Amino acid sequence: MIDGNNNVNEIAERLLATRSQIYSGRDLRLPKAAEEGGCGVTGFACTVPLAGRFIYEPSVQMQNRGNGKGGGIAAVGLTPEQMGVPREVLNDYYLLQIALLDPACHAELERKYILPNFEVALSTRQPHIDDYRDLPGLEVCPPDVHRYIVRVKTEVLKKFAEQTGLGSLSPRDLEDEFIWRNSYSLNDEFYTSLGEKRAFVLSHGRDLLVFKMVGYAEQNVEYYQLQDFKAHAWIAHQRYPTKGRVWHPGGAHPFVGVNEALVHNGDFANYYSVCEYLKQRNIRQQFLTDTEVSVQLFDLWDRVYKYPLEYIIEALAPTTELDFDQLPPEKQTIYRQIQATHMHASPDGPWFFIIARSQPDKGKVQLLGITDTAMLRPQVFALSDDGEVQIGLICSEKQAIDATLRSLAREDPRFCPVADKYWNARGGSSTDGGAFIFSVDSQNGGKKLTCTDKFGRPVALDSGTVRCDLGVVQVYDKNTADPLKELVNQWLQKGNVESLFTYAMDLPSWSAGDLQRFCKLVVRGADNAKSRSTAIEVLTMLHDRRFYTGDKRGATVIRVAEDALEELLDGAPLFGEPVSRFWRRVNWATRDRLAGPRAGEEILIIDAQGFPPEGDDCDAVLLRKAYQAGWKRFIVYRLRGQRFHGAGLGAETNDVRIDLYGSNGDYTASGMDGLQICIHGNAQDQVAQIAKSGRLVIHGDVGQTFMYGAKGGEVYVLGNAAGRPLINAVGRPRVVINGTCLDFLAESFMAGDPLAGGGFVILNGVEFDQRGRMKPQQAPYPGSNLFSLASGGAIYIRDPRRQVVERQLNGGVFSDLSDKDWRLIRPYLVENERLFGIKIQDLLTVDGEVKAPHEVYRKVGAVKLSILASSKK
Amino acid sequence: MTTTTAIKSDLEIQEEALPQRPGHSDWPQEDIERKIRPVPERYRNAIGKYKIDRLAKCISCGRCVEVCGYGVHVKPEGYALMSRPQDYLCIGPACTEAGSDCISQCPQKALVMSLNPNVECFGDPRWSSDLILSTWHEAETGHTPPSHLEFRHGASGGGFDQIRFKFEIPGLDGGGSRVAAEAIDTGLDLNRREDGRPQIHIDIPVYGGGMSFGSVSIHTILAKARAAVAWNSFSCTGEGGYPDRLMPYDDHMITQVATGLFGVREETIQRVRIVEFKYAQGAKPGLGGHLLGDKNTPAVARMRGAVPGNALFSPFPFHSVYSVEDHKKHLDWIKEVNPRCLVSVKVSTPTDVDMVAVGSYYAGAHIIHLDGSYGGTGAAPDIAKKNIAMPIEFAIPKVHKFLVAEGIREKITLIASGGIRTAYDALKAIALGADGVVIGTAEMVALGCVRCACCESGRGCPRGIASTDPELMDLMGLEWATQRLINLQNAWHEQMIGVLSRLGVSSIRELRGRSDVLCYLE
Repeated sequence: MIDGNNNVNEIAERLLATRSQIYSGRDLRLPKAAEEGGCGVTGFACTVPLAGRFIYEPSVQMQNRGNGKGGGIAAVGLTPEQMGVPREVLNDYYLLQIALLDPACHAELERKYILPNFEVALSTRQPHIDDYRDLPGLEVCPPDVHRYIVRVKTEVLKKFAEQTGLGSLSPRDLEDEFIWRNSYSLNDEFYTSLGEKRAFVLSHGRDLLVFKMVGYAEQNVEYYQLQDFKAHAWIAHQRYPTKGRVWHPGGAHPFVGVNEALVHNGDFANYYSVCEYLKQRNIRQQFLTDTEVSVQLFDLWDRVYKYPLEYIIEALAPTTELDFDQLPPEKQTIYRQIQATHMHASPDGPWFFIIARSQPDKGKVQLLGITDTAMLRPQVFALSDDGEVQIGLICSEKQAIDATLRSLAREDPRFCPVADKYWNARGGSSTDGGAFIFSVDSQNGGKKLTCTDKFGRPVALDSGTVRCDLGVVQVYDKNTADPLKELVNQWLQKGNVESLFTYAMDLPSWSAGDLQRFCKLVVRGADNAKSRSTAIEVLTMLHDRRFYTGDKRGATVIRVAEDALEELLDGAPLFGEPVSRFWRRVNWATRDRLAGPRAGEEILIIDAQGFPPEGDDCDAVLLRKAYQAGWKRFIVYRLRGQRFHGAGLGAETNDVRIDLYGSNGDYTASGMDGLQICIHGNAQDQVAQIAKSGRLVIHGDVGQTFMYGAKGGEVYVLGNAAGRPLINAVGRPRVVINGTCLDFLAESFMAGDPLAGGGFVILNGVEFDQRGRMKPQQAPYPGSNLFSLASGGAIYIRDPRRQVVERQLNGGVFSDLSDKDWRLIRPYLVENERLFGIKIQDLLTVDGEVKAPHEVYRKVGAVKLSILASSKK
Repeated sequence: MTTTTAIKSDLEIQEEALPQRPGHSDWPQEDIERKIRPVPERYRNAIGKYKIDRLAKCISCGRCVEVCGYGVHVKPEGYALMSRPQDYLCIGPACTEAGSDCISQCPQKALVMSLNPNVECFGDPRWSSDLILSTWHEAETGHTPPSHLEFRHGASGGGFDQIRFKFEIPGLDGGGSRVAAEAIDTGLDLNRREDGRPQIHIDIPVYGGGMSFGSVSIHTILAKARAAVAWNSFSCTGEGGYPDRLMPYDDHMITQVATGLFGVREETIQRVRIVEFKYAQGAKPGLGGHLLGDKNTPAVARMRGAVPGNALFSPFPFHSVYSVEDHKKHLDWIKEVNPRCLVSVKVSTPTDVDMVAVGSYYAGAHIIHLDGSYGGTGAAPDIAKKNIAMPIEFAIPKVHKFLVAEGIREKITLIASGGIRTAYDALKAIALGADGVVIGTAEMVALGCVRCACCESGRGCPRGIASTDPELMDLMGLEWATQRLINLQNAWHEQMIGVLSRLGVSSIRELRGRSDVLCYLE
C-alpha cells in the first residue's frame, strides 16, 4: 500500500501470525489495570549528552502532576564510557534491562531467557543507594535492575528464522523481532501470568535505557544514582494512577517498543477498540494500560509495517475537517487510505505522547511530541540554539521547560535559561500535523539538532546571533565619571521611562556587553521611590517588548532584563530589615513575618522561589493574606510554576495590581474581579477562568481553556492562545488576542450583544519577525471551529484576505464591520498599542497600503440556531 | 475591604477582624425554627388514595362525623348539610374491616368508597402513587403516613425496592435489642480529613441536591434553603448562579462549580462552607446541564450573564479537567479561593467509580458524592435516564469497600444520591456503605410535584415548582413551601430513629456499611 511492495505486506503478516508461537493460553480480555488520566510528561534532546540530574529538575517541577505512585525515565543516546562497552558494541548490541521485583528469581530467569539465547557482552547490576527509605516519601522498594548487553546468538537466530519462516527479514529486523518475543515470553512467565509478580523487562532497545518505580520520576535519578549519567535525550513521566495501592512499577511509564520509549499524558476512551485492532493483528497486552497499547501501535506501524513517521503520526492523530481539505491531493489520497485502515486504532480522547527513540544505524537520536486532534492535554515545545549547543524540549508545562534550562544554565554557560522559541502543536492539522520531531544527528564528527513538524518542514531559528548575557560586565565605580551613568540617573530621577527605553533601542549597534552595562546602571541608579518605579518599568519593557535586537540573540536579551529585574527587586528590604520607602520584600524564609504596609510602602515584592505551587503555604495564599493586611500593589518574581495568583481576593479589588515575573503557573487570575494582573512572559493553562471584571495583560502566549466561563474583564494577549479560549464565556469579556488560537475559540460564547454592552474578542492573527516587526500569520485562524454554538457576543477578526471561511463557523455568521463596531473596538486597539507597541496604523496596513477598518476586520456574530431557540416564536 | 495603611503586625487577628472572610457569610444569617406545623395541600381538592361519594339519600344526620377518626366528614357549625368529604384523609378498606366505619354505620347507606381513579393516573413504578401520597402526607403532617400508604418503597421491582431490612421480613431476625429513641444520634461530621479546615456537623444524614435558578423557581430554592437551616443541614445552589436572596442562608448553602461555570464567582465561592464540583449527573452521565430556551427568562439570563431565550448547555466534562491531575489542580484552586470551605466532588457512577472516588480523595476532596441513575427530572433525556451509569445500590458498596481496602474510608465522607425517595431508601444507602444521602425529587414531591415530567418544557412546571415563569412561580408561597420541607424531614427523622432503634444502633454512623441488616428479595 505504502510503497507498492507486496513483499513487505507478506512479511509483516507472517511476522504477526507467527507470534502465536509465543502465546500461551487464551487471550483473556482483561480490564484496564488502572485509570490514569493524569500525569506530567517531559523530555529533551540535546547535541551534547546531558546528565540525569537535568531531567530531575522538570520532574520535580511537575511533581504535582503525579502522586508518587509511578515515575519513570528513559535515557537515549548514551555514552560508551559510561556503559562500559566500546562505541560499536553500544550501537549494535541490545541493552536488555530487567526489573527484578523478586531478586531471587534472577538465576532462573537468566538460565531460561538470557544464557541460551544471547552472547552477553556485559552483565551488570545497576548501582543504587543502600536504603530506599533514605528518599523521603518512597514507600515501595524500587526493583533491582539488571542489565545485559547482548546480541542474539547466530545459531539461535538461524533457528528462529527457520521456525518462523521469517528468513527473508533483514538480519537486524529478525533480531529485533527475536528480542521483542524473548521479552514477551519473559514477561509472560515472570510477570503477566503470576499473582505475585517477579520480574519484567524495562527496556531492550539499542542505545536506550528505561527506569521506573513506585515513586516520583526524579527518584529514579536519585535511587539509581543517575545524577551524572549522560544521554543525548531524556524523557520522564510522573504518573497519577487512581488505583490506590501500587506495589510494583510495571504500570509506570515509559513503555517500550524496541528502540523507542513512550510516555503519555491522558487516557483513551477506546482502549478496548484499540486492543481489538491489535488483537486482529495478533498482538497481546501484558501490562493493561493505555500507554502499553500506544507503544504497541507505534511499534507495529514503525517496525512491522515500516511506515514513515509522518504516516504513523497520521494513523495516531488523523487529519480531518477543514484541515484535511487543505492538504495537497496526493496527501489526501494516502491519508484517506491510512484513516480507512487504522481509524479504529487511533486513540480517542485526551492524550499527549512524548517518544524518545534511538536509531543507532543512522547515528541518530529522536525526540517526538504528538498531541491528540482536540489538543485536550497541555503541551509546550521549545527550542534553544546557542550555535555551539542546541536543545529541544517538550513538556506538559512551560515552567518545567524553564526549570530544565535554568538548571542547565547554572552549570553550563553554553545554555541560556530562556529558550529562543516556545510553541504549541495543533493536533491533526494541515499546518504542523500536531507533532514535532527533534533529531540529533551525527555530522562531521559532531552533533546537530534539527526540528521538523509532521510533514518534515523545519522549524526555523535565528542563527548567527550573538549572546549578550555573557561575560563579566565592567562594574561601575561610584567615583568615576561616566556620562551614561549621569544620563541614566537623570532619566531615572525624572521618571523618564520613554527616554531610557528609546536609548536602549540602539541595542543593534551596541556591543554584546553593553546591554548588561546599561541594565546595571539602571539597577544601581534606582535609589528612591520614583527612580525605582521607573527602573522597574523600563526593565520590564526590555523584557516584554518585541523589538529589533540586531545581532543579539533575543532570548539572551530577555535573560539580561530578567536578571536585572531580579537584582533590582532583591534590593527591597525584607520584613524585619530597616524601613525603606516604596517597597518591602517577602520570601520563603521570612514569610511568617509578613505584615501590613507601613506609611510610604507601596509595593510588596514577593520572591516566589521556594514556595510550593499550591496548598496553604503557596505564595498565592501569602499574597491573599497580604492583601487582607492592606497591601494593594504586588510584584511576584522568580516564579517557578506556582499557581493561582490573583485568585481568592474576592470582589471589589479595583485598586489591586499584581505583576508576575518568571515562570507563572496554571490558574493565574482565575476568578479575578476588579484587579489588574500583568503577566510578564508566557502564561500557562486555565488563566482567567470565570474572570468577572478587571484587567489582565499577558506579554506572551497563553495556554489551554483561557477565560473558560469568564463573565467579563478586559484582557490583552500579545501572542497566541492555545485550545478552547473563551469557551462558555458569558457577560461582557473584552479580549484582544494579537496572535491566533489553536482551535475552538469562543465555543458556546454567550456574551450578549457587543454593541449593547456585551462581550467580544478581537483576533489580530499577527506575529513578529526577527526585526520585531509585526507581520500577519499564515492564517488568522487556522482551526476548523470558530465561535461554534455561540449565542451571543462577537469575534472581530483581522482578515483582510478573507481567509477564514464559512465552514469554520457553526452558529456564527460573517458580517461587515460597521462604523459602530469600529467605534466599539478602536479604544481597545488603542490600549493594545500602548501596551505592546502594536500600532493600529500597522494593523490597518495591508501590503503596504493603509486600508479602511471594514476592509481589514470582519465581524463574526451569532445567528439564532434552531437547536438553541425557545419554542416561542 | 479596609483601606487602612496602618501597621498590622498580627495577620491572624487581622484576618479575623475582616468583614469579608472566605468561608463565612458577612450577611446576617436568618434562623428558622425547627417546628412542626400542619400544612395542608395548597389546592382545593386534595388527592387521596380513596374516594368517598356521598349519595343524594344522605340525610345529614352527622353519624359519619361521629364514627370517622380521620376527619373525613365535616358538618360545619350552623350548616344543615354536610361538607364534601375530605376523602384524601380516608385510610380506606383498613377502616371498613374494623367495622366502625362511615360506610357501614351510615343509616342511609349513602356513602360509597372506591379507589380514587386519579391515583392510577399519576406516579410510575419507581415513584408509585403510594409514595407520592405518603410524601405529601409527610410534608403535610410532619409524621409517618398511616399504614394504608406504602411509604417505605416503590414498586419498580429493582433497586432499593427489592432491598429490605431483615426485620421487615417476617421470620428473619432483624438485629439487636432496641435503643431508646432519645439516645439515637442521626448527625454526621462532614470533614474527616483532619486537614485543618473547619468541621461541619449536620443533624441529619440528608442534604438537598443542587437545583439551579432557572431550573426551579426562587421560592423552591429559598424553601429548600430555609428547611436546611431548620434542620442544620445544607441545600445547594446548582449551577445557575447564587441569587442574592439566598444570602441569609449562606451558612447552609453549598454552591456548585459545574461544567458551564454559570454564575460561579469568587464571592459566591467564598461565602459558603461547602463547594461542590459537579462533574456529572447520575441521570445523564456524559451530558452537561441543559436549560431549554423557554426557561431562560430574562431574570435567569441576567443571573447567568447569558442571552435570554437561548438554550444553555453546560459542556461535558469540564473543559479544564481532562485528567485526575487537572482535577487536583481544580480542587486546589477552589481551596485557595476559599481557605475554609470543604470540597465535595459529585460524580456519576461509571464502572470505575471506585477509582474515581479514590482519586478524588487523593486530590483533596472532603466529600465524594455518587449520583446514581434513578434520579433526575424531566430535563434529562430519556435515552440517558436510567440507561447509562451503574445502579446506585451497586455503586455504594463498591466504592465503600474499595475505600476500606485503600485504608482511607475514615478520611472521606461518602454521600449517595440519585433516587433516594424515602427515609428507608436513605437508610438502605447508608447500610450499604454511604455516610449520608442527598435528595432532590423527594423535596419536589413534598412541594406538590405529581411527577408529570414536564419540568423542562415551556414555562415549566404546571404546579409552579420548577418554573421561572412569574405567574406560575406565585402558585406557591414561601412559608408554605418551607414548612412542607421541614415537615418532610421530621417524618423522615422519626422513621430513621425508629429503624435505628429497631436495629439496636445508637447512631447513624454505626449503620454505615452494615449490609448484614439488609436482604435482597429474589
